[in-house]
Amino acid sequence: MLQGVIRVGTYEWEVPIGTIPGMRVPGRFFLSESLEKILEPGAVQQLANVAAMPGIIKNSLAMPDIHWGYGFPIGGVAAFDLTEGVISPGGVGFDINCGVRLLTTPLLKKDIAGRKDLIDQLFNAVPTGVGSKSTLRVNAQALDGMMIKGARWAVDAGFGVSKDLERCEEKGTMKDANVQAVSSKAKQRGTPQGGTLGSGNHFLELQVVREIYDEGAARAFGLTKDQICCMIHCGSRGLGHQVCTDHLKVLETATKKYQIKISDRQLACAPISSPEGRSYFGAMAAAANYAWANRQLITDTTRKVLTKMYNINYEDMPLVYDVAHNVAKFEEHDVDGKRVKVCVHRKGATRAFGPYSHDIPQELTAIGQPVIIPGSMGTPSFVLVGTKTAMERTFGSTCHGAGRVMSRTQAKKRFSGREIASNLAKEGIIVRAPNESAIADEAPEVYKPSEEVVRVVHEVGLSHLVARLEPLGVIKG
Amino acid sequence: MSFEEISHTADVKIRVHTLTLNALFSETCDALMQVMYGKSREGSIRKVVDLDAENLEDLLLDFLSEVLFVSEVEGFVFSNVKVKINGLHLHAVLLGEKFSQKKHSGGTEVKGISYSGLSISHNANGYIVDILFDV
Repeated sequence: MLQGVIRVGTYEWEVPIGTIPGMRVPGRFFLSESLEKILEPGAVQQLANVAAMPGIIKNSLAMPDIHWGYGFPIGGVAAFDLTEGVISPGGVGFDINCGVRLLTTPLLKKDIAGRKDLIDQLFNAVPTGVGSKSTLRVNAQALDGMMIKGARWAVDAGFGVSKDLERCEEKGTMKDANVQAVSSKAKQRGTPQGGTLGSGNHFLELQVVREIYDEGAARAFGLTKDQICCMIHCGSRGLGHQVCTDHLKVLETATKKYQIKISDRQLACAPISSPEGRSYFGAMAAAANYAWANRQLITDTTRKVLTKMYNINYEDMPLVYDVAHNVAKFEEHDVDGKRVKVCVHRKGATRAFGPYSHDIPQELTAIGQPVIIPGSMGTPSFVLVGTKTAMERTFGSTCHGAGRVMSRTQAKKRFSGREIASNLAKEGIIVRAPNESAIADEAPEVYKPSEEVVRVVHEVGLSHLVARLEPLGVIKG
Repeated sequence: MSFEEISHTADVKIRVHTLTLNALFSETCDALMQVMYGKSREGSIRKVVDLDAENLEDLLLDFLSEVLFVSEVEGFVFSNVKVKINGLHLHAVLLGEKFSQKKHSGGTEVKGISYSGLSISHNANGYIVDILFDV
């Protein structure tokens, strides 16, 4: 392990105050021994940088998928006091509300065996890759609707059913969105991209439920063995990216204005209640809503393809859940025996609220919030459930995915997209992508094993395993 | 072409080394275009960008963010960039072509240009910048 980092439990490590100057709280992260070997010093430095931010409560945290990002480490979680604390785009990222949702179907694996045309139809129906534009015509009013009402806008416009909203974090709508804080540039970028997947690690995947670990929770979530599901991973597209770019500039100035010391310019921030902080939060919430509307639109397209090919009722493809990975939110948590409202930043981390928490579907109150953890291309994804331990230890947070171990440059040098696709095909996994390098970029070997990351959060109790899903068909962004 | 990719697990980190400051900006812009659209780029459609900033790092970040915006919204892929820096004012002339799915899908979308670790240094051999693109 890196110098100065102390092991405090089987899977738990501490970065003590003083590791870098100005730390206000210790850093804490969760890792197994095999994951420890691939931890980068840059990620620990970033965890320590966050610990030095004003108003941070308890710990600067990171989940077992911790890796080197910009601003916060990826996998980073931090909660801030509403009076003393700050809000920072460095704790959210450019892709605001990048997230993932899982859609169930009444189909079983045997129903889609050999149906390569299903993947082809989905690939043709969902715009994907660099420069892809939506077939949906969005006017200024509709764009405002997406930013203010999120997934609800899409459902009201006929792109879903009201039950979908019950199965989204925040019911698919953050209430404090401020469209006035979203620049005309951001709106211009968002207008042609509603319902598009994007590129990079975004995907749409057909999966089969291979194993159930918790029968009760799986039943409540609507999952059964051998069932075909569809996972959608994408975010707020150019609109969110531009919101981040615009507000970073404003917050850079604010950091100086409020005399806040930061160790990385990407951690530019402002007091939560300052005009600059409120403006960023309002714009970020608008972008988060756009992302929920976007995932709802892609869900609608997917359901329509399945309805057409298999004559399935639209209503028979309910959502398990939709979670955000990159977001800052006001939530109530127990801190030192008191219930307090804090601003939680999750950067590449998933909310994992336990049983009887607020904002989880009523029918799941006694069970907990479904947590969706995507694997990398060709590797398993997992459904878990939020826990009381997560509420006590990590402000109700868990990991968000596998986490990369190899750069895209190395990946392109080492792997050929064609070879990977052909190897996956031998395992019965069909991959469609706009180009071969997109496949090489996201080769299974460039990620930490998703099984190991999920095992650690399960062992620590930050969320518990419910089901394992394996890919059958992948549409790469 | 005088840029190299530095290993970064999650994103794309680029190091650009040039003799002049003008070239540093144009080469970094070319690197951005290559990451997004691959090597096959040409054309003669002209775009002009004028910008001011408080320091050179901000000028570079604002310039690349503007190119990213124009490229995405207007669907332009740039192949030739000429930059003139005068003090903290930038004047850039970009030449390129309309985006084509067939020709330009060899890259990956860049979400934003990060402030993280961004610094421009200058010595007897010229100018160097390390810059991170979120992809």
